[in-house]
Formats: sequence, C-alpha cells, structure tokens
Amino acid sequence: MATLTLSSRASRASRFSRGSGPVQPRFTFAKVAITVGSVLLALLWLVPLLWAIDTSLKPEPETTQTPITWLPGAPTIDAYRNVLDQGSILRWFLNSTIVACLVTTLTLVVSTLAAYGFSRTTFPGRRVLFGILIAGILVPPQVLIVPLFQEMTGLGLVDTYWGIVLPQVVAPVMVFVLKKFFDGVSRDYEDAARVDGATRLRIVWSVMVPMSRPVLGAVAIFTFIGAWNNFLWPFIVTTDPAMMTIPVGLANVQGSYGLRYAQIMASAVLGGLPLLVVFALFQRQVVRGVGDAGIKG
Amino acid sequence: MPHAAPPPPPGRPTRRTLLAGALGLAGATTLTGCGTFSRDARVREWNLFGGGDGARLLQIHDKFVAEHKDIAFEAYTLAWGPPFYTKLAMSAAGGRAPEVATLHLSRLKGFSPTTMLDPIPVDLLAKAGITEQDFIPDTWSRCQVDGQLYAVPLDSHPFVLYYNTEICQQAGLLGPDGRIKTVKGVDAFLDMLRAVKEVTGKFGASVETTNPWRLWWTLYGQLEGKFFDESGTQLIIDDAKAIEALELMAKLAADGLTPKSSDYPSLVAQFTNGDAGLSFNGEWEVTTYQTAKMPFSMAPFPVVYDVPKFAGDAHTFVMPHQADRSTKDTEATVEYIAWMLKNSAEWAAGGHIPAYQPVVASPEYLNLKPQAEYRSVAPDVLFDPDAWFSGSGAQLQNEAGAAFSGVYAGRMTPKAALDQFKAATRKLLDTPSPV
Amino acid sequence: MAVQTPTRTGTTEPQPTRQPPRNGPPWTEKWGGLFFVAPFGVLFAFFLLWPTFSGLWNSFFNTSLAGVQQEFLGLANWREMFGDPAVWDSLQNTLVFTAMSTPPLVIIALVMALLANRKGLLGWFLRFSYFAPFVMPATVVTLIWVWIYQPGFGLVNGLLTAGGSAEIDWLNTENRAMLAVVITTVWWTVGFNFLLYLAALQGIPDQVYEAAAIDGASGRQQLFRITLPLMSRTTGLIVVLQLVASLKIFDQIYLMTDGGPNYATRPIIQYIYENGFTSYRIGYASAISYMFFLVIVIVSIAQFRLFGGRKEAN
Repeated sequence: MATLTLSSRASRASRFSRGSGPVQPRFTFAKVAITVGSVLLALLWLVPLLWAIDTSLKPEPETTQTPITWLPGAPTIDAYRNVLDQGSILRWFLNSTIVACLVTTLTLVVSTLAAYGFSRTTFPGRRVLFGILIAGILVPPQVLIVPLFQEMTGLGLVDTYWGIVLPQVVAPVMVFVLKKFFDGVSRDYEDAARVDGATRLRIVWSVMVPMSRPVLGAVAIFTFIGAWNNFLWPFIVTTDPAMMTIPVGLANVQGSYGLRYAQIMASAVLGGLPLLVVFALFQRQVVRGVGDAGIKG
Repeated sequence: MPHAAPPPPPGRPTRRTLLAGALGLAGATTLTGCGTFSRDARVREWNLFGGGDGARLLQIHDKFVAEHKDIAFEAYTLAWGPPFYTKLAMSAAGGRAPEVATLHLSRLKGFSPTTMLDPIPVDLLAKAGITEQDFIPDTWSRCQVDGQLYAVPLDSHPFVLYYNTEICQQAGLLGPDGRIKTVKGVDAFLDMLRAVKEVTGKFGASVETTNPWRLWWTLYGQLEGKFFDESGTQLIIDDAKAIEALELMAKLAADGLTPKSSDYPSLVAQFTNGDAGLSFNGEWEVTTYQTAKMPFSMAPFPVVYDVPKFAGDAHTFVMPHQADRSTKDTEATVEYIAWMLKNSAEWAAGGHIPAYQPVVASPEYLNLKPQAEYRSVAPDVLFDPDAWFSGSGAQLQNEAGAAFSGVYAGRMTPKAALDQFKAATRKLLDTPSPV
Repeated sequence: MAVQTPTRTGTTEPQPTRQPPRNGPPWTEKWGGLFFVAPFGVLFAFFLLWPTFSGLWNSFFNTSLAGVQQEFLGLANWREMFGDPAVWDSLQNTLVFTAMSTPPLVIIALVMALLANRKGLLGWFLRFSYFAPFVMPATVVTLIWVWIYQPGFGLVNGLLTAGGSAEIDWLNTENRAMLAVVITTVWWTVGFNFLLYLAALQGIPDQVYEAAAIDGASGRQQLFRITLPLMSRTTGLIVVLQLVASLKIFDQIYLMTDGGPNYATRPIIQYIYENGFTSYRIGYASAISYMFFLVIVIVSIAQFRLFGGRKEAN
C-alpha cells in the first residue's frame, strides 16, 4: 500500500461543508459531454467486475463458448455452491478478518503511543531514535522478505497469526504522520488535564485520541484495507493453507479448480466482495478520511 | 455472502468495536489454534494435483477418511510446480510442515532430503505391509538417500498420446480394433497430424507451448541424446540432436499442426472442444476427458525417432521435516501411505501407472480402459537429468520453457533457443549448490 | 507486548502497566517517555532493524533455506550478482513497469477526480466505480484479468475477434505481457491516486471559483488557470508515492504471468523470491535485496530532494 502523508492541520468540517465543485454555467454542450464521458469511464471501470460476476453465474460449459455471450443463458449459483463447499474460503475469510483487525488495532495503539512519546516527552536518545524511525520509512518491506522469513523460522512464527501480523504493525510512516499531527495540537488541553492530575497515558487516551479522530480514522481505514489485501508477506509467511488469508489462499489453491472458469470467477467475486460492500456503504467516510486528514501537497 | 464474520466497517465508530472485536478474536484463536483437544492422530496431506487428478484424489481421500475414523485427515491441493515446491520447502524450513506430501521423484535429491524431509520409518512401513519387494528395484533405489528411505513411490507418469476416437476414425487412423494405428518415424508422425488437421480444420494436436520441456525431452531422448556427463557437472548436450528435436517442434507449429501459443488450460480445452484431435500430454487428464464424456482413448506416444523413450516422472510420498513430529501422527501417516499404495488401482484410473507391483498385476487395474493401454512404457520412462535445479517444475524445466516456447511461436530459431537454454543451464551448473 | 485494553466506557482510567506519580520523581520525567515509544520500538527492532542487518550479514554467506552448513563467502554473492544478467534484466523490467505505469496512474487519476467531483447520486456512482477496484486483493484482480485476457473465449479477445481483428495472446507474448500487466494495474490502483486528487480538489475553497466567475472566467479558464495549478503540489506528492509503489511491483506480475513469457515481465522482487525460496539461496537473495534496497533509497532521496526543493520554491 502506498503511504499517506497527512498534514498536521486539524482542519475539519470547513473543507467538506459544501463539497461542490467549480462553479459552472447551467447547461452547456460541454457539460453534457463531460457527464456522458464520466459515466462511460465509470462503466468501462465496472466492466471487468460485471464480466466476472456474469461468468460466475454461467454454467461451466457456457463459459468457454465462442463467440462470447453476455448474459448467462441459464443462470446458476452452482459455482458459488461448489466454491463454498469444497474450498477453504470461509476459513480464509476468518483468517483475513482476524489478521486485518489485529494489524489495525495494534498499529493504532502502538503508533499512537510512540507518536505521543516522540511529540510530547523528552528522554535521552529521543532524537536519535526518531532519526532511526525516519530512516525506517525508507526500508521497503519487500526487500526484507528473505531475512524476515528466516527470522520467523527461528522464532517459530511461520504459519501463525502473529507471524503474519507483527511485521505489518511496524509502520514508521504512521508514527511519523501521527507525531506531526500531535505536534500541531495545542498543549493547553494537555496542561489543563495535567493540572487535574491526569497521568500521561490518560492524556493520550482522553485528550490526544479524541482530538485526532480524523487522522486516526484515516490511518485505521488504510491500514485495514492494506492488511486485508496484503499479498506478499502473508504469502511468504504462511505455508499451511489453513492459515492463509483470502488473497494468498485464492492464489495458492486456484489450481484445484482446474478449468472451471465459473468457479474461479465465483471465488474471485467472493474474495473481492466484503471490502467492496463495506466501501459501497462507507464511501463517504473513506473519501472524507483522506480529505479530513489533510493531504499535504 | 459467507457466514464468516464480516470485517467491521472501517468507518467512524471503529475504534472501540475494533479493539473489542480483535481482542476477542485473538483470544478465540489462541484457544482453537493450539488444537490440543483432538485426541486423534492428525495427518495433513499436501499435493499438487489439479484438474481431473485432483477430483480423483478427493474421492480416494473420502474413502480413506471413511475407513479411518480415528485419523483426523486434511488434504490440500496447491498450485502445481514451483508454487507447490516453494511452499513445501518453506513449510519444512518453518517447522510446521504437513505430515505427508507428494513429491516428484525427480526432485528428491534437489529438495535437500536430509534437512528438509524426515526419513520414512521402514519398519513401520513393513508393519503396514509395504516392502522393498513390491517395487521395481530401480524406482526403490531412487528413493534412497544416504542409506535412508525418504520417499515411497506411488506411480509413474509418462508422456503419452491422447486421441479423439471420432476424429481419428474420420481421419482413417484407427485400426480394426478401434485403437490408433502405431506410427513410427518422423514422416508417419507428420502424416498422422496432417490427417487429423484435415478433419478438425484447426489443429492436429494440442500441446502446451508454454512448457515445451516434456515434448522436447521425449524427442531428444528418442534420439538418444545425453545431457550431463557421468559426474553430473558437465553439460554434454548434443547440439545436432537437440536442434533436430526443436526443428520438428517449430515445424509442427509453423504448419499449423499444433498451436503456436497455448498454455495448459488451452491444451485441455482444445482437445475437449475438438479443435485438436490429438493431444500430447502426461497421462493425467483422463478423468477430465471422461467427465466431459468425449470419445477418446490413449496410446504410448509415437516413437518418432530411434528408440522408445518417454519423458516422465513418478509421484512419491514424503514426510516433510517437522520441528517436533509426534509418533502417533507418524504412525497414522505411514498407514495413510500404505493404504494409498494398496488402493492405487483407483488412483491409476486417473491415468498413472501404479508403482506398487501387486496392483499392476491386479485385474482391477488391467481392466481399466484406456488407462492400461500404455502401461508397457513404464520401463522406458525417461526421468529428468539429475541435478539440484532439475526435475518436474524445477528451474531447468523453466529455463527450457522460457527458451523453447519461442520456437513454437516462431519468435526464435531452434539454434538461438538452444543457445539460450544451454547458457542458462551452464549458469545453473556454475551456481554453488544450496543443498 | 503490553496492549492497553480500553474499558467499556472509555472515560474511566485505563489500567496502566505502571502508575506514574502525579508529579513523580525526576526519573519518570526523564525516562517516562521511553515507555510510550517502547512497544513500537521493540517491534521496530525485531521486525525491521533485525532483518535489515541480518540480511546484510547473510549476503556474505552461502546461507541456504535448507539449513545446511553455511560458509563465509566474502563478496562472492555480490560479485555473482554483478555478473548475473537475470538480476539486471529483472531490475530493468521493474523500471520499465514503473515508467509505463506511473504516467497513466497519475493522469487518469486526475481526470477521474475532475469528473467525479460532484454531488448527488451520480457523484456517488462515479466515485464508487473509480475507486472500487482498489479495495480488492491482488489475487481477485488478477484472477479476473487473466480470464479477461484469455485467448479464445476471454473478453478482450472476444471483442477483438468480433471486431474482425486478430486475437492477441496478451499474457504469453513478450512485448504485450507487460502492457497487459500495466493495464490491469492502472485499473486496479488508479483509485488511490484518484482519492488523493479528489481530496485536494475538494479542499479548494469555493470562494476561489466564485471570485473567478465574477471576473467572468469561463469553465475552461477556471480549469486551466485555477484548478490545475492548485493541483501541482498534489501531483508532486502522487508522483513520488507512485514511483516508489511501482518500483515494488510483485503481486500482479507473479500472479498473472509468473514473470513470463521468457522472463520478459519478471520483476526484481520475484527474482529475489525465486532465489531465496524456490532455489533455497538465502545468501544470494539477500545480496540482491540489498542492491535493490539501495536503488529504492537513491530514488527516494532524489525525490525528497526534488520535492523538498519545490516546496521551498513555493
């Protein structure tokens, strides 16, 4: 997943209160053309998905007919039934859910604490540690797969949830983003809380967290999507099909479907569906999460 | 929608629900993850059988499970070739490997058996009724490394000829017994393909151009070509013979007797839908074509050149290395292996020639049609060259695939393809062996 | 690892692992901050620093996945790497992919953001369509596209033949396979850049346009004189993110072509994977990883320089 750079400004509602675009004249030929063009582009983008759904509803022999047919002659959900019956797809759903939830939760907790530590406390070596963290942003996880796998074999974490989760929790860029954000939060609230006798841990929980809800939301959303869809690391660290996440399981076990395209497409649809539904329902929050966090350009 | 817990919406109220949910799930998994509740012996089996083979194995496994209520049995099929072997090696390195897995015999030595596999207890195997005498001696000795048994052979699987009986009937290729007439020599071979092409209007035979190794190795073997010297360190490939084989493959594609480009699924599809009346492939797609209810039979691959040699390999069972292997599981694993061998007539229905000789002699196997039609080739199965980078789906085959597929497509001359392949092989030979 | 469990209400005191006194002794003031950094720090040390250095260490040995006795090789792995054409071919494939995929991923994203920046159901529909592929896993995307590219009965070739053109075997033709992967990648990941652009567009205050409209600026003028110039910094950010993301290409290519045909699409990460795991050569794979790591660091630093420079100029 690409990294996000978020600004420290706690700008919120104002940006989206109107959400309108450029002011445009009422009715012009150009405007109609743009609308039509935008819809055509959207349809073009949807065609692969629709084609996958279409194929998944065809009886197997119909999938390889030429010339191709658009609508299934005799729609059937046999392919879905077969996938759910024979495969481990439900197990992989469970694994993906567990992994994505753990990664998201731990990333939020660990990164928030670290960001607070770097932003608000002083301790010897803080600058050096923060420098190391910044350098860590430059290390692409992809180049670590080989030594990391070795390490996991040493720790006995191959084929475990922790083995999948822990390396994904190390996201220095998230700490960096949150630290920058915390730097911009006024110290007044914190001082007031301290006068009231709050511990620093409590300050994090009841001052910093509520203040930075939008940025935490953006971190959570993209961490979750990233963890759910992550392919490379789970692919490396799981060998037991019972431990695989959805993307890895589908990639490894597809061979057993042989030639059955309807079945392959049914498993693809099932694998893509959960986040698609979530996105359809929470589109506004997702789009806003990015905007709320304030993209620094 | 599946019934598994859907991911919580990554919207606003996530924080608390996420925390609670995740911790709850984590708690639940530590409980189930350890799985110490099951009293049964556990056997997890990994295999690389897709398509018809996979379906067949599933049925056999169902029977095994029904007969062994005391064994918790799970089987998984992984994508054939490098994905399977890479995963298997990584699982053995990771210490949580499955109890038993299939492995091509040609890959045994390259798999680093002494570190990545656990030896198979011969005494337990004998107790289960399987001994050395039940196999062809050469096969058995190939399964030994450093005096230990690391693999138990299940079958052997040569490259064969599939033919569509209706199309071949029309092409006049069938004998009075309904079997395809044996052809010998390049000209007869080409005539056969042309006759079929005439009928189908498309291709003579379907081939896998993306993996041309098997056809090339068969043809090169039939020309009595050698690959490595005795010591296994020098490449002694015979250029003239290698190019002769490649030129034949180029000619097949150029004349439209085979496709210029076709992957494995297309190979199957073209034979199934009648675009091709013949198919050059390993014998493992029987089930697929039987399921498709198409009129077909099988025969040994033609002896196109001088001697009968047929590229092939053998499937074996191995026990991947586990950090702490339980005796109970091992006993159950050996029982599984023995049971599979004794019931391999059913497996043979998928096309493979059983390795366990009592089954080969059984009427149950001999009555299988067309699966018993080519059993005569078993002694002439030509294994891949012996090297750590060689074997089914290993790097040497990939290098051949990368170089030779261009020959079919007409992108590359046989000479250039051979040069590329030889350079790649030399590079592999120069690479220090990691096993 | 000490994960704080929040209590139900979220307002009561969470159970801390330690109880720092209100105005505690000097050592908590001095060292207390370390406790906040510690959980992340430990994970960082274990799963980032350690593998970074053990990878460097391994690159001087003939470390094998099979765990056979390892020997010190000195620079042999590094020397082999510099003489190994497959390393440079796969690095070149990675660079070619990056060069081919980045421009459309930026330009199409901008066009989409301009189109979808509107209210109502149509806006919702456009945003959903453009972004939807991004939320799907690589495997799902590639399963669908391999099927679409299928010769014979795939969608693309079906349309080509219906239109009277010759069929193209996209994924098995050397100079088409990379294009096919790029098309799939653009379809899949353009949504993320689209979202970044959309957020930036929505951040332009309406007053700017209102003022322009009062001055009589046409829609086109607004686009070229206001919107696009205001987007330049976002574009800079997106290009930076996209270049680094594209350099790390592995998933789609591994899943669609497995690096073929004839290694024409194999990216460097796949070559690392194949050496380290398929061929057991952990030591050699580590050396290649390090070389690639350096490439990424150089690209990143160059970008930070460029990027930082531009910011100062503004």
